[in-house]
Amino acid sequence: MKKILIGGIGNVLLGDDGIGPYVARLLDAHYEFESGVEIADLGTPALDLIDQLNGKDAVILIDSIDTGVDAGTVVLYRKADIMRHSPAVRMDPHSPALVDALLSAELFGVAPAEVLLVGIKGESFEVGCSLSQPARASLEEAIAEVLNELDRLGVGYRWREHPAELGVWWATNARVEPALAT
Amino acid sequence: MAKRITIDPITRIEGHLRIDVEVDNNAVSNAWASCTMWRGIEKILRGRDPRDAWLFTQRFCGVCTTVHAMASVRAVEDALKLEIPLNAQYIRNLILIAHALHDHIVHFYQLSALDWVDILQIPKADPAATAKLAESLSPWTRNSRNEFKAAQDRVNAVASSGQLGIFMNGYWGHPAMRLSPEVNLLAFTHYIEALEYQRKALQVVGILGSKTPHIQNLTVGGVANAIDLDSASALNMDRLEMIRVLLSDVVQFINEVYLVDVCAVAAMYPEWFKIGKGVTNYMAVPDLPLDSSGTTYDLPGGTIMNGNIGGVHPYKTAGDKDFRDAVSEDVTHAYYQSGKPLHPWVGETEPAFTGWDGEQKYSWVKAPRFNGQPMQVGPLAQVLIGYAQGHPLTRKHANLAIGKIEAVSGNKVTPDMLHSTLGRHAARAIRASMLAELAQKHLQLLTDNIAKGDYTVHNQPVFPEHEIEGVGTHEAPRGTLSHWIVVKDAKIKNYQAVVPSTWNASPRDAAGAHGPYEASLLHTPLARPEEPLEVLRTVHSFDPCMACACHTFDPSGRQIAKVKVL
Repeated sequence: MKKILIGGIGNVLLGDDGIGPYVARLLDAHYEFESGVEIADLGTPALDLIDQLNGKDAVILIDSIDTGVDAGTVVLYRKADIMRHSPAVRMDPHSPALVDALLSAELFGVAPAEVLLVGIKGESFEVGCSLSQPARASLEEAIAEVLNELDRLGVGYRWREHPAELGVWWATNARVEPALAT
Repeated sequence: MAKRITIDPITRIEGHLRIDVEVDNNAVSNAWASCTMWRGIEKILRGRDPRDAWLFTQRFCGVCTTVHAMASVRAVEDALKLEIPLNAQYIRNLILIAHALHDHIVHFYQLSALDWVDILQIPKADPAATAKLAESLSPWTRNSRNEFKAAQDRVNAVASSGQLGIFMNGYWGHPAMRLSPEVNLLAFTHYIEALEYQRKALQVVGILGSKTPHIQNLTVGGVANAIDLDSASALNMDRLEMIRVLLSDVVQFINEVYLVDVCAVAAMYPEWFKIGKGVTNYMAVPDLPLDSSGTTYDLPGGTIMNGNIGGVHPYKTAGDKDFRDAVSEDVTHAYYQSGKPLHPWVGETEPAFTGWDGEQKYSWVKAPRFNGQPMQVGPLAQVLIGYAQGHPLTRKHANLAIGKIEAVSGNKVTPDMLHSTLGRHAARAIRASMLAELAQKHLQLLTDNIAKGDYTVHNQPVFPEHEIEGVGTHEAPRGTLSHWIVVKDAKIKNYQAVVPSTWNASPRDAAGAHGPYEASLLHTPLARPEEPLEVLRTVHSFDPCMACACHTFDPSGRQIAKVKVL
């Protein structure tokens, strides 16, 4: 059994930065995966990410990117693309750490052999809990890229007839029961 | 002529902590700490259901997830004067302890050890001599020649590949690096081993919180864990046993490896007990409540002013009146619309960005003040405040560590020397060993309480229509965290989080008083100002965390901190 992590990275309170967790939740709600596959909303980990990468055979991460392409464009990065960057001199040791976590995991001998980063160019990273139109329009493509990668890795999954609860709690403020004393 | 050095990590789409120092005759003569990113996420909470606030606050920061969740439910419970069932207190305490143990291990090994350990010296070490040295320091059974040899081979492989990987950008061979090749190898080997134990601590959080990094089991009024000794899916004796086994491994690592390594490093860099003093006003809040109404705690709180340890003022409760009435935030030098210092319940967050100007505004961090004074928070504050009060657990672990440093170094160590960069590291290790003991205690308390037949985990919150205010505190890994909430008609009217790194990274206030990072850097000697390793050592000793932000991956790789010398 292969150990696979599908992880959404990003801050769900900062607009399009939340697209990684959103895609992870969509996948979880609409697909069933063979055992060994873990889907996680990783939030915004720093070097703690090493603990999530540790011991996985393959990792698929979904994250917003900031690069010179149109908003909503999906760009794929492989392990070597990420690892060719140099780690940060850490003034604030908890700042974002995908590169550092992967480099450390490699040093420790616990890095996954396969890494795919599905990057989605965001439009707005302002405080707010909803995705921009271009980011929303890219969701389907991002999901397709994750599934393609699973196909390539020979990992099974199937569409759920009845989707599970989406669990995107941050995009709603839906409390059904009254909270006021009566 | 003074030189100005700026250390500005260019990370992702927004920056984080920036440090500017002026250097005169190879020593720091002035310092500014600034945060280059706007936080203001609290605004998102206005108008929402207070019972949901913790889900949102847990996302303030990707590292301190659990602590913001906990402070938030406590703030609402404080506003409602709601008691928490014993099981819920113990479960929360265990989560907080396990999270803190993970955090303290990660801080020392992954984030600061390489400020003191020179990777370039490792190939020169003799693994057999390292094993002999290690055996003289600790009973840790993994301290074997083979283990050290394997770690050395790893470094040799990286060095010979020409791909320095994670070691790129380190200040290797810097004159301030002074450990012997064997001590470098020893610490580096434990840096690798730490990975296993930090993970075990996280597994405890996962078992009780049902997920990491974002726990799922909190609720205003208690926890949502089902306790049922006959159900495989609930919290049962098997799971409690799993937690016990995981914790005992972590506890052993803390006592036999982490604490020992900190003592060894401290013994070999004695001058760092004289550097990095800074603000000697300290504050900690009591935590790890032992009853449902929060009247007794396993960790003491209070304040120490001007380094006067004998004059410690203890806090009776987590939301002590002396704390809640004394906090205000000054924005004289922060990028917000100016006004007089405001209490967090009436706090405002209206941005007014001007660009960095050391004389005027230069940071997105507000300057929190306690009765108008800057305060240092964190493990050092907690250990000093506990020690000063004669708290037996603090005294026991502090004396143990001080004895170890004295034994290795042959020098006398007094509590007064803890006002320093090394003091902050030592205090964090002392706190970790205190928490390790408390982890086992609270697991036993929980197990015993369940065995008595008490399965209660939750009290129902009921909201009045009139306006209520609450403060939720937590003595987090980086120090005193407080969430301040105002609720009206069961909706959030105002919310402010005063986080530990805000206290420590605070800019100057209206009176010109430095915040703790700034003050601690003054007079620091720099061997090579263009490679300010000494600045990193002191700033890292606080364990700064400004990460409450965006994590957008920047494929251009602009992630190298810019060190600019003017």
